[in-house]
Parts: sequence; C-alpha cells; structure tokens
Amino acid sequence: MAEAIEVLNISEGELGFSDEIMKLGAEELLDCIQCAKCAAACPMVLAGFEFFNKRIIQSILIGQKEILLDDSSIWACQACNRCTEVCPRKVEPFGVVMAMRRSAIREFALPTLAVEGLKSLYDVGHAVYFSNAGEIRKKIGLPEKPPTTASNAQALKELRILMNKSALSSLGIIPMDSGLSDVTCCEV
Amino acid sequence: MKVGFFIGCNTAFNRPDLEKAFRFVLNALNVEIDDLDGQSCCPTWGTMPSVDEAGWYALGARNFIISEEKNVDMVTVCGSCYGSLSETKYKLDKKPELKEKVNEMLKAIGKEYKGTTRIRLATNFLYNEIGIERIKNALKYNLEGVTIGVQPGCHSLWPSEAYLEGERDPFHPVMLRELCEALGASAPYYSRIIDCCGMGGMRSTNVEASYKLVKTKLDSMKDEIKADLLVTGCSSCLIQFDTAQAPMKKDKMIDYEIPSVHYVQLLALCLGADPQQVVGLSTTDLNGILGKLKKIN
Ligand code: SF4
Ligand code: SF4
Repeated sequence: MAEAIEVLNISEGELGFSDEIMKLGAEELLDCIQCAKCAAACPMVLAGFEFFNKRIIQSILIGQKEILLDDSSIWACQACNRCTEVCPRKVEPFGVVMAMRRSAIREFALPTLAVEGLKSLYDVGHAVYFSNAGEIRKKIGLPEKPPTTASNAQALKELRILMNKSALSSLGIIPMDSGLSDVTCCEV
Repeated sequence: MKVGFFIGCNTAFNRPDLEKAFRFVLNALNVEIDDLDGQSCCPTWGTMPSVDEAGWYALGARNFIISEEKNVDMVTVCGSCYGSLSETKYKLDKKPELKEKVNEMLKAIGKEYKGTTRIRLATNFLYNEIGIERIKNALKYNLEGVTIGVQPGCHSLWPSEAYLEGERDPFHPVMLRELCEALGASAPYYSRIIDCCGMGGMRSTNVEASYKLVKTKLDSMKDEIKADLLVTGCSSCLIQFDTAQAPMKKDKMIDYEIPSVHYVQLLALCLGADPQQVVGLSTTDLNGILGKLKKIN
C-alpha cells in the first residue's frame, strides 16, 4: 500500500518568518531558487536527516516554523560550508541554517548539549572543557591548565562582559552575571 | 619566525598529546611560539554562532586582538577553530557595518579589532610556510612502505573564499597528501577523500547517523587503497576516528580498525618525539605504525 502523503496547507504558514530569519543573519534567503545543488553536497543528506539545507530553506520560505522546531536536523549541520561553496545564487545556505538555529533558540528549542556548551563557555571560556584534564596534561609534560581563559581571570572577565553585551544576555538560557552588562571597562 | 598558538578547547582538554606534538614540531623546525595568553574558545558552532551573529564575531575578534597586539599570526591544529575564526575575520573585513557593531561591543573591554593578523591551519602553515623540502631535511625517521588515507577535514576546504592559503581546488585536495608523502609514505586518492567525518553537531545530534559517515569513509579507504593509517588535518576529525571505531567494531558495523593520528602528531614522531608524549592518548592501536618508523642515517 502506498504511504499516505501529508499535504501541507501553506496558507497556515507563519507570516513574517522569512523576515525574521533574514534579520537573524540570512540576508540572501530570498535568492534561493531551490535548485538543490546545496543538497547534493550536504553530509546531512548522506547521513539521512530529513531537513537538510534545501528543505530548511523551503520550509522557511513557506513559513513552516513549527516543522523545523520539531525536528533536530538543524542541530546536525556540520558547519562544513560545502553548500556555501556550491550555491550558484550566493544564498549561503549554512548561514540560513545558523539563522534558523538562532530563531529556535529564541523559542527555547535547543538541545541540552548546546545549553551545556554555552554554560561552559561562560564559566571557563571553553565550550568543551573537562575539569579532570589537568592530570592528563601534567602526565604528558604540559602545565595543568593551558594559557587561556581557564587560567586567566582577567581574560575570562573580558569574555563574560562581551557575552553579556550579546543577545545571549536577554534570552535567559544560562545563568549570567547581569551586573556585567553595564560594565564598560575592566579593572586590571 | 614567531607564531601565536591558538590551542582551542578539544586540543587543550581532550587531546593534549596533540598540543604537545605541535609544540614539539614548531620547536624542531625553529619556529618560536607565543601562547596568546588569555585566548578563549573560538567560539564553536553550537554556542555563540547559534545564538547571535555579532556576539560570535565579538568573541572571535577578542582572540584576534591578542594576536594583533603581539604582531603574530595565529596557527591552530583544529579545523573547527580555523573555520569559526576564518569566517569571523572574513565577515568583519568584508562588512564595515558589522565591524563597527563588533567594535562597539569591544569598547566595553577597551579593545578594538583592526584585522591586521590572520588565522592559519597547521597543515597549511607547514605546507606553505615551512615547505616540503625543509620538512624532509629535518626528519629523523621516515615511513617508507606505509599507505595513508588522508582526511583533510571540511574546515580546511570550504568556504574557499574565507581561506587565504587553502587548496587550489578544494574538491580535489592535495596538500595533506603531499605532506604525508614528504614523510616517505604513500597517500593515494580514494573516492571518499572529501567526505565529512560526522563529528561535531551531527555526532551530538544522532550518533548512529554520524557513524554511518565514518563507515562510508573507512570502507572506501580500506577497500580502495588498503590504508595502514588514517591521517587527519583537524583535531575534531582525529577525535572522531580515534573514538568511533571501537564502538563500531563492537556493534559489528566494521570488522577492522584503521589507526588514526593528526598529521602534526605523525610529523612529531618522524622528527624524533617521544610517542608517550605526542600520541600517548590514542585509543586506536598505533604499535604497528610505530614499528614502521625507519631511522634515517
Ligand atoms: S540555497 Fe543555493 S544551492 Fe541551495 S537550493 Fe537554493 S539556490 Fe540552490
Ligand atoms: S554547512 Fe550544514 S547545511 Fe551546509 S553542507 Fe554542511 S552540513 Fe549541509
């Protein structure tokens, strides 16, 4: 038996969704002609994800925000930029995927790992951080902590001030020191 | 010559043996290292780039400023750092209004992004700055008779516009192959040479899907060129191939293992480094390859 085909009523699409995505960084969105060159190059297609670059763009253009929020594909994008390289219309499909992530985050539709990465970035300045790495570093002849924000309080403070100046501060995804958003200079 | 070492997170905390290898290699090739004290995460794709474009570039610009103040280029062994930072620089240099917005944010920490320094990937740096001949002349060991399957990594190839010293044709990469051949090994073309390793966002979203890509790639390397060793130009690819093969073997997805290292680690070994220090955290079995290192008289 043939599988039932789901028919979308595109008049129910969210008005203004394309504008939102364009404002979030996908300025050339409307230039897409759905030629599928980006899809032919995309590792998400090879791995079997349903909403790869071309389909993400198509869904945005017809205002199907909910579909994209319910699906995890946008988070599987490898940021590899094959799509950006081959797109004949300079749409920068990777930029569209990232803009879609930014929209999803504003609806709190983000994976736990992304929350953890952001928290770790704010806390130590590294998205990937293992607190027990010091022992291993020492064993192979390196100082316990690398010369980064992980061992430099002033540098970490600078980073946090910048994160407080970014859109992250108003989203409430991770606990942040709100006092830092008013700081305009660092005491050394 | 002096360069700034952009360490990144995965190298510092997950594979510090790669950090050690890069320090060893630069030292052996008479390149002075500046540690770029105070550097942070690039930041990587799943964090600030997924939240706010200007916020992403502001954090990247802060890293650039550390290099600008020291008047050195940044060099990294991590493709993700190279990709994120290259894109940051590309966009800031191309779009004055974005640069202005980011510099407005940077005022809060008393800094300004000028764009006078650049980010370079270790393999490109070795190829273009040190050169094949100097590498060959510095070797203490070679790898004659070893066949290598190379994995340049997505972030050394695309978007080519943002990479000032990348491949002439990013869909047919040759730099990593030639770098491996400089060590006496052979590094033939195979049909999946530009395929993605499946690390990063894909591995955190769906590990089985990610392993599908690993398998496609490994099978191609094994069947077409009978690779003895897999060599990456990126620390994320290294972590993927080094850690995915054991669980895949357990689940009977593959019935073989291809030992995997980063090019910088392999070069460190050929320059005489202590294996314990420069590949000591490998989980794939490197004993066979270590046994094939031949002393050059
Ligand atoms: S984004 Fe570019 S490559 Fe992809 S379908 Fe649209 S026009 Fe074609
Ligand atoms: S950047 Fe993302 S959408 Fe573009 S080809 Fe790579 S995985 Fe696909």
